[in-house]
Amino acid sequence: MIRIEHVSKAFGRRKEVAAVRDASFTAPDGAITGLLGPNGAGKTTLLRILATLVVPDAGRATIDGRDVTGERFAVRRGIGVLSDARGLYPRLTARENIRYYGSLHGLGGRDLDARIDALVATLGLASIADRRTEGFSQGEKMKVAIARAIVHDPHTVLLDEPTNGLDIMSVRALREQLRGLRAQGKCLLFSTHVMQEIAALCDRIVILAQGKVIVEGSATDILAWSGAATLEDAFVTLIGSGEGLAA
Amino acid sequence: MSALSRIAVVAAKEVRETIRDRRTLLVLLVTAVAAGPVFLFLIFNLVARQADRAREIELPAVNVAQAPALADFLRRNQVRLVDAPANYEAQLRAGDLSVVLVVAPDFAAEVDAGRSATVHVVADRSRDRARTTISQVESLLRAYNRQWGSQRLLLRGVATSVAEPLRIEAVDLATPQQSGALILFLVAYYALLGSFMGGMAVALDVTAGERERQSLEPLLMTPARPLEIVLGKWLAVSCCNALVVVVTLAGFHLTLAYAPLPAIGVPFLFRMVEFARFLVVLLPLVLLMPAILLYVGSRGRSFKEAQANVSLLMFVASVVPAVQLFTQQREPAWFAAVPVSGQYSLLSHVLRGEAIAPSELALSYAIPVVLIIAALGAMARLLSRESALAGK
Ligand SMILES: Nc1ncnc2c1ncn2[C@@H]1O[C@H](COP(=O)(O)OP(=O)(O)O)[C@@H](O)[C@H]1O
Ligand SMILES: [Mg+2]
Repeated sequence: MIRIEHVSKAFGRRKEVAAVRDASFTAPDGAITGLLGPNGAGKTTLLRILATLVVPDAGRATIDGRDVTGERFAVRRGIGVLSDARGLYPRLTARENIRYYGSLHGLGGRDLDARIDALVATLGLASIADRRTEGFSQGEKMKVAIARAIVHDPHTVLLDEPTNGLDIMSVRALREQLRGLRAQGKCLLFSTHVMQEIAALCDRIVILAQGKVIVEGSATDILAWSGAATLEDAFVTLIGSGEGLAA
Repeated sequence: MSALSRIAVVAAKEVRETIRDRRTLLVLLVTAVAAGPVFLFLIFNLVARQADRAREIELPAVNVAQAPALADFLRRNQVRLVDAPANYEAQLRAGDLSVVLVVAPDFAAEVDAGRSATVHVVADRSRDRARTTISQVESLLRAYNRQWGSQRLLLRGVATSVAEPLRIEAVDLATPQQSGALILFLVAYYALLGSFMGGMAVALDVTAGERERQSLEPLLMTPARPLEIVLGKWLAVSCCNALVVVVTLAGFHLTLAYAPLPAIGVPFLFRMVEFARFLVVLLPLVLLMPAILLYVGSRGRSFKEAQANVSLLMFVASVVPAVQLFTQQREPAWFAAVPVSGQYSLLSHVLRGEAIAPSELALSYAIPVVLIIAALGAMARLLSRESALAGK
């Protein structure tokens, strides 16, 4: 369970760039929460705050009751993050890249091998698992990065625009993976600027624009709240322009 | 899971990735391995040729056919005998010649008669430049005189020491020691250089390279603390550095021990003992350089900037010993504590076979240890800041 309460964050020497402004929302366990917003809305910043790398200027964020600033290392053990930066080590194979993260999370031996084999199978990595990652396509890199993020079977999964660069087959495979995790009762939060992603997958939607949470709820809640006929119309109405909607 | 095992995980991964970078590693090791032999061959031959040239004297002579045994003796002692020009006296006065050897016309007859035969050393002694050559020729003649006399005494059953109560042995400090000093400098210098260069590429790769490739942010989101990541990387880079240093020194050791180098009287040895002592002296640098390189590598806003800063650092560090050699002054005592400088002077001690006091060694370790802690601590702080992600 992720809980964000009145979180603000500004960047720049004089804090002139307000990235997140007084944002509050929750993402429950056993559900997929979509963070929808145009480019520059503050999605990445919010996820970085949850991933304990950025300290909010104000407000409080907790994951399963643990404060992300006060107990950052305890929080890190329970989360898996596909961050905005998702570089792999080009001279290591896909499997070695994943294993490195597993080892840093304290896994090892046969447990880790079994876990990696399972991820390789479900994410369709079998044909590339033992190749060095240099020269991997965008989609192949993304799948390895996702496997690396969840290798330690975290209870909370944060994904920053996970479908960028994936072909439709891979997107479907990823959706299946996320639904599987939801079925296990995990807490999933993913960000996107693509409307269709949200509609296809999410139980709950948080719409973010210019650092502020505009609305939070299920698709039906949002349709009712905005009075629009489709989610896309609702989104455009809510954020006030069509900017950033193109996939 | 303990901090130690996470440090080991990071170190092992960095080492593995470095080994996979075949080309960089190969270039590094081949350079290190080849450097010693190539350097030593060039320097030895250069020095040997210079030494030969310095000793060889050209001696114009008159009537030398009268004294074939003397001529042989002189030739054996690197004197090249040439026929003196007819106007040699004028040329001596003008300073065109330094010295001319004139064998008396009755030399052979006097020798046969068992009397003292005469040679004239003709020179203008007011000329400074001629003086060394004159004294070299005179001392060769004296040596020949002594050798010839003692042979005659031996024939009569008299011990040489009767006629020669005092034996003078000249020890020339100028040539062999100086050429030795140059080689000594180069061996010490190259060993130092190995400890700078060995870790450079790797240190840049695991800091600025990691950020450029966008893999730093996900790494910082794992339970590994910044200090653990820093220590792991430091261990890995230090291992590469140590490997390069060992390989460089092995190159020197093998060359000096087995290669057919010209004999020029090098006043030092590089046996296994010196090898081991070199490692003990270089250890603080082998560990310090990676720490500093990692810190500098993490600071740069981009890979290029980090690379520029690292190159500057390398330049400064590699110039220090050269400056020390050329200033030629006795170093003040505090030099022993300064990294690079202190190691350089300790390495020279080792090569000259002098003992190193434990206190001196401890002194040379002190500042590096402090700097290592400072650099690694500073790097860990850099990595725990938000700006580490963007490199701002
Ligand atoms: N480290 C930073 N320094 C300065 N400005 C930043 C930094 N990170 C994000 N911003 C700014 O904050 C705003 C929100 O960025 P971000 O969270 O990346 O948005 P999104 O992921 O929704 O596209 C943008 O205007 C961005 O330029
Ligand atoms: Mg973003």
